[in-house]
Amino acid sequence: MPTIPSVRFLFSSLLLLAALPAGGVELGHGVQAHGFVSQSVVFTSANKVAGDSDDGGGFDLREIGGNLSWRPNADWLVSAQVLARWAGETDQFDPRLDYGFVEHNLINTGDDRVSFGLGKIKNPYGFYNTTRDVAHTRPGVIMPQSIYLERIRNFFLAAPGVTVRGEHDRADFGVTWQASTMKVEASDSEVEHVVFLQDLPGEFEGRQSWLGQVMADFQGGAWRAGLSLGNISVDYQPGAAFPSDERAGRTTFKPWVVSLQHNRENFTLTGEYSQIGISGQGYFNPSLNSTHTAEGWYLQGTWRPRPRWQGWLRYEQIYTDKNDKAGTRFAPNKETYLGHSKAWVLGTRYDFSSDLALSAELHHVNGVASLSPQDNPGPTFSRFTRDWDMLLMQIAWRF
Amino acid sequence: MLRTLIIILSLWLVAATAQAVEIIAQRAGTSASLSQSQVRAMFGMRQPKWPDGTPVKVFVLPDLHPLHGAFCKEKLNLYPYQLRQSWDRLVYSGIGQAPNEVATEEEMIARVAATPGAIGYVRKANANDSLRTISIQ
Repeated sequence: MPTIPSVRFLFSSLLLLAALPAGGVELGHGVQAHGFVSQSVVFTSANKVAGDSDDGGGFDLREIGGNLSWRPNADWLVSAQVLARWAGETDQFDPRLDYGFVEHNLINTGDDRVSFGLGKIKNPYGFYNTTRDVAHTRPGVIMPQSIYLERIRNFFLAAPGVTVRGEHDRADFGVTWQASTMKVEASDSEVEHVVFLQDLPGEFEGRQSWLGQVMADFQGGAWRAGLSLGNISVDYQPGAAFPSDERAGRTTFKPWVVSLQHNRENFTLTGEYSQIGISGQGYFNPSLNSTHTAEGWYLQGTWRPRPRWQGWLRYEQIYTDKNDKAGTRFAPNKETYLGHSKAWVLGTRYDFSSDLALSAELHHVNGVASLSPQDNPGPTFSRFTRDWDMLLMQIAWRF
Repeated sequence: MLRTLIIILSLWLVAATAQAVEIIAQRAGTSASLSQSQVRAMFGMRQPKWPDGTPVKVFVLPDLHPLHGAFCKEKLNLYPYQLRQSWDRLVYSGIGQAPNEVATEEEMIARVAATPGAIGYVRKANANDSLRTISIQ
């Protein structure tokens, strides 16, 4: 059953947002305000997503955010967004600064622009990472888990640093690029669950890392192609509880993703392929000092048969180790499904207006690599069910 | 049969009239023509200033308005949903702002005429002396 706070949250948010005009609020002097809210319900045949999804429905999946931007003149932009999110055990209403930075335009020749930014900046990765928490911008109810894995989202979403961003426009093609150097925020237990498969007493701390992206569009965006790549390292600082704790060590993530999209009036075809190299060094446990590569991809067709209706079909898969697709190294017995997820996803969305949308999505999944261990506590080899289905429904408002 | 033909013909005429779109700017502006890439960057909210340095104020009709659809296809060579996706990427990652949305063509004309640096669009038949029309080079 939905909890009273979640119902109250939904109604008070919708009442608040209903009072606001579509397309944001102009506050004068170059200041704009925008916001978004969504509430989802999740049903699974087995395994837990966002609460008791396998037992009456998971209602613990909602997000709310708001931003302000100020353009005092054509060369400066100041903007910040606050986001609060609930997603099962990994996010429980923890309001945070999603981004907050100052951007200054250095070059503007008409068809070429270069800007410099300083502050907490969203990490460009693939087509959708920078706005993944705004339901209206997602290609479905939840992000394709093959590329935008929810259980490693927080430390990969935004980070304090500096960025240089450029745009080049021509009549039939355009290029945008961005290069950032930053220190990722890795102190919550998310990274520990990825590296150690559990939450240890110590903490990870971000090291100087970098991320870059190039996106090109052709024929007004009929074709879009992109490459994003990064090198992100974190240091593990052990807690006081050694020897139950792991000793200090360093883990480096080297992600890259290739993105390709074809847009027509009533149809969009999108594909993304990524690999993430994960390597450890200096850990006491030698198995943590190995290197492996996770691999994921999806292909999605989206139809827009009528102006307010969309439907989509996606196939996606992820392997936690691309050189062990059978999954036998990690699970020598029969639990080989721990190392992969393969899913068919069928979805639909109806837009009541430009700011209110209702959507539903059906997932048919083999494997559990996309699932959060925090949401599914218990012994590693018995807490998951290999084949499972999921139904998600979502209502989302934005302005 | 004749009735069907008349309906098709009148629908075609309505569609043909609706698709003659003119880009408009405030009369006091300096540019009479822009390249298609400049127009696309301005309406894409990626170009914040005119060639003379004046800040750009973009006015658009709602996504489902027929004139907005005609404008996107005819002048920008893209579809309304693509423009909306570009704005959303900017607005919700903080690297840009949203355009000003107006409800009707009349409001578009009034707002563009009254706002320094404004750019918008109207049906060709509605372009008038209070506005400057912008041609694409």
